[in-house]
Amino acid sequence: MSAPILRVEALSKRFRGLLAIADVSFAVEPGSITSVIGPNGAGKSTLFNLVTGYLPPTAGTVSFKERTITGLATNRIAELGVSRAFQIARPFRDLSVAENVRIGALFGKAGARDVAATTREALALAGIAHLADEPASVLTVGQLRHLEVARAIATRADLLLADEPCAGLNPTETAAMIDVLRRIRTSGVTVVLVEHDMPSVMEVSDRVLVLDAGRLIADGAPAEVSKNPQVIAAYLGTPD
Amino acid sequence: MTQRPALFVAIILAAAVVLAALPLVLPPFYVRVGQLMIYSAGLAVAWTILGGFAGYASFGNAAFIGVGAFAAGLVEERFAGLPTPLLLPLGLVVGGLACAILSAAVAYPILRLRGTFFAIAMLGVCHVCAELNNNLDVLQGSLGLNFPSITPAGWDPATFFYELYLVAGVIVFLIAWQIQRSRFGAGLLSIREDEDTARMLGVPTERYKRIAFVVSAVLTGLLGVIYAHSLGYITTDSVYRDDTNLNLIVYSLLGGLGTLFGPVIGAFMLVFITQVVLARLLDFHLFATGLLLVVLVLAAPGGVLGFVKSWRLKRRYAAKVPAE
Repeated sequence: MSAPILRVEALSKRFRGLLAIADVSFAVEPGSITSVIGPNGAGKSTLFNLVTGYLPPTAGTVSFKERTITGLATNRIAELGVSRAFQIARPFRDLSVAENVRIGALFGKAGARDVAATTREALALAGIAHLADEPASVLTVGQLRHLEVARAIATRADLLLADEPCAGLNPTETAAMIDVLRRIRTSGVTVVLVEHDMPSVMEVSDRVLVLDAGRLIADGAPAEVSKNPQVIAAYLGTPD
Repeated sequence: MTQRPALFVAIILAAAVVLAALPLVLPPFYVRVGQLMIYSAGLAVAWTILGGFAGYASFGNAAFIGVGAFAAGLVEERFAGLPTPLLLPLGLVVGGLACAILSAAVAYPILRLRGTFFAIAMLGVCHVCAELNNNLDVLQGSLGLNFPSITPAGWDPATFFYELYLVAGVIVFLIAWQIQRSRFGAGLLSIREDEDTARMLGVPTERYKRIAFVVSAVLTGLLGVIYAHSLGYITTDSVYRDDTNLNLIVYSLLGGLGTLFGPVIGAFMLVFITQVVLARLLDFHLFATGLLLVVLVLAAPGGVLGFVKSWRLKRRYAAKVPAE
């Protein structure tokens, strides 16, 4: 078995009185799609913020490819090969779709690059090559989500953290996004996905982690997790 | 033009040659207006490296005009015995260095601020520098500082400084162009669009902002040194000017914020309007200028280039919609 690409150990984050992430530990295998699910406020986005260095943890460590990245600046973590697609798409609105993606290709993971080729590949992989010359400001919500993913993978990341890429999409758009995530995994990128759309999660994930109130309450294969009483209780509540 | 840099440089140099020949045919008044236009355009382009490309609009760049000018003047005064052709280069080196040191020193704390907070903090930096300049005797801000004449024999001073501003302006413009088309420029652009996302994509935002700030400050300081020589005598009030701070923003707003040509267009437009068109309206000159600015900004919020861009976009989408 190969070494985990991402290892989170005893990670905690406290915002004054609120423990947003409580002693969470897990590891992600390379080449997999791992989904992180949980009710609103469970700490999913905070977990991403901690992994990408956007927030410093209160305790614990994050390792990427066996190297501790806790405390590194966000851009340094991106240079190592960790990228993120935001929950609310944040395109560079004054630029075209291709220019947006080109910035990802220009920066991101350190090393030699062919910016034009990387940009083209990322646009194609995300299924928005036909929109390359359009201004980002005119894209629909669904197209913006694809742009967000394209820009993130253009960084030549080894690990993509996708924060609710299917949120607000209709079933057709959701299916298209799931297809994109599968293609990204096939291209060799490990995906960690935060998602609320359960059918999508069950369909695409190799493994599911469940957070509730900052705690990791379940970790396993999708079918196994969906039957876990603790998970059902977290989502549906328990009878009084 | 980004794809054909040699052609772009050739066009800019050809335009510079045409501009350089204008004093041969223009009356002296218009040569002085041309001086002011090119000086203002140079300052505006230097400002836009940080304010336009990275979106950190400084409201205090006159600080670097003042620091550059006074640092150069004080050193040139001390080395007054040097041959005249060496004085300006000496002043430029000292003025540029002083601005580099000041900007590098304030960059770390001040660039942690964004938007209006950064703009106002820069205004504060400008006023602090002006007050120090005025109150520290060694800086001679209140007394004033004389600059030696550097105009070569046989040259008209107005024409000489026109040509000097032109050379400096072209250099500043080409530096800004080179920045804009580089990886560094793409990083600055992403900072302007969304700094947090830029960082997430691997852009070293803090380092890039600091470099842009120092480059912008040094280029502004170098133009300030030439300006001080063209005046011949400066006091604190003649270089640390709030109207300059304001104008640098207005030039970009008028021409097109964040673009390379926008500040040049804006500076040329505003200087021409205020110095030539409205100059005769002595009684309500400022009122007319203000009114004109309000009208222009309302009619074209993205400036001249923004207006052109949105017009082209509208045309493109109109062409895409099939006729009913």
